[in-house]
Amino acid sequence: MSNDIKVQSESSTIDDQTATKAEAREEPNSPLPTARPTRRSFLAGAAGLLGMMALGSCSWQEFFQQHYQRMTAKEIDEVVERLKAQYREKYGQDFVVGTEGPIDGTLFGYALDIQRCIGCRRCVYACVNENNLSRDPQIQYIRVLRFKDGTMDFEESEIYYNPDDVPEEGYYYMPVQCQHCANAPCTKVCPVRATWTEPDGLVVVDYNWCIGCRYCMAACPYQGRWFNWGDPSVPKDEITTQTHYLGNRPRMRNVVEKCTFCIQRVRVGKYPACVEACPVGARKFGNLLDPDSEISRIIRTKRVFRLKSELNTQPKFYYFFAT
Amino acid sequence: MNQSLRMFGIALVALLPALATIGPIGASEPGTMIGTPTSLDEGLSTHGSEGKLAQQEFPVPYKPLPKTITPCRACHGPEKDFPVDFTRRESLLVHRNIQLNHGGVRVWCLDCHDPEDRNHLLSLSDRKPIPFDKSYLLCGKCHGTKFRDWREGIHGKRIGYWNGVKTYYLCVNCHDPHSPKYKPIEPMPPPKKPHTPQEKGSAERTL
Repeated sequence: MSNDIKVQSESSTIDDQTATKAEAREEPNSPLPTARPTRRSFLAGAAGLLGMMALGSCSWQEFFQQHYQRMTAKEIDEVVERLKAQYREKYGQDFVVGTEGPIDGTLFGYALDIQRCIGCRRCVYACVNENNLSRDPQIQYIRVLRFKDGTMDFEESEIYYNPDDVPEEGYYYMPVQCQHCANAPCTKVCPVRATWTEPDGLVVVDYNWCIGCRYCMAACPYQGRWFNWGDPSVPKDEITTQTHYLGNRPRMRNVVEKCTFCIQRVRVGKYPACVEACPVGARKFGNLLDPDSEISRIIRTKRVFRLKSELNTQPKFYYFFAT
Repeated sequence: MNQSLRMFGIALVALLPALATIGPIGASEPGTMIGTPTSLDEGLSTHGSEGKLAQQEFPVPYKPLPKTITPCRACHGPEKDFPVDFTRRESLLVHRNIQLNHGGVRVWCLDCHDPEDRNHLLSLSDRKPIPFDKSYLLCGKCHGTKFRDWREGIHGKRIGYWNGVKTYYLCVNCHDPHSPKYKPIEPMPPPKKPHTPQEKGSAERTL
């Protein structure tokens, strides 16, 4: 906090100096001494004010934080410490902000048994809890689409279904979330490269680098990305403190976020939260490079398909029929 | 490796009658893990024959049977008054809470429960009794393709570590063995509808 004040006072003195200089230089040209600010002094003042406003909403270190992939290990440590202090202040709990890298020889894949899914949305809320998703405004990484049997027209699908019991006769359900494409269009359109594909196949976002332009959301054919239109709100007693820098750490307003297959869990070997929450065991997760993994066996032995495969996005999210 | 496996098998056969006489099924606490990660890995890496299959171990959450009905031998022992009756009956004297809805009229209690030893399920073809916590061996006798998928992690649920120790859910953790069709459940609430000018002020805004 003391840092902020110092920074602001410094910048304001600099602005004052430049402004007075500008006025002094213009004086000989103008016949009368000007009481109004000149165009130049106004611009300088406005720039200074904007700078102060920008710096007022975040710390100096945060404002000048480097891109995650370009930070050194020491810088990452500093950032993690700063974030921990910030989160402790906001939520009153000690956070773990992990920075685990990809495990060698892994490429994560996901499979969902579309015949087994009963559309109960347990996965949606497990995801909300695990990933500290904003409750209001509401963000849910998983959309469960309901289709009439025999159809697969997305425009005819329903996500607001709310019967007493599921599954319903005559319908089937298809949960859709980030497909972690191998040829991800969202990462290509980002003007600042704030989103990229990790070596283990996870498409991640550096929230601190994101400028909130939402190009990635326009590029994603699966609507797998979400924008924080307002300040995310998560109840203090429901916050998950085991986090990852690229994953479920608390986000801020004006940044894009998305499913990371629970990077904070899968990078330490655990299953994603949605896999563990599914009551019917329709969700499968594993290493595509391991021929003995569940996901590899499914792709090898079952009928699988990927959403909108004609777009050549090459998702690593497979839907399959177990029988 | 083979020899050690065979030794293990012999030891198992030798131990089982002893275990059976000790009493209640399984004798493990609820929630304990059965089996070890090493035996799990063996089980998954070998697409073994039936003989090997019987020796596979899967770590599963233990689902205790209700205390009121166990041990089964308390009523169903050879010295007790309930004789073995193979005939299919509509209403039972006890176990009235069980609605048998499995396999139509083709399946009866004693097709799965061992008539001679009610503490165990009907034994495999090699006369090895199946304890209740390894019921998947019995289910697999009819549902072979499902069992194969379950063994490989395609059917059913696993939790734990994708690259390490997993906990398997048994067939009976999700399917009531007496009425195996998965029961409908209540869905969690749908997402909020986005705010649109037409719906301003109406009750539909937050569905």
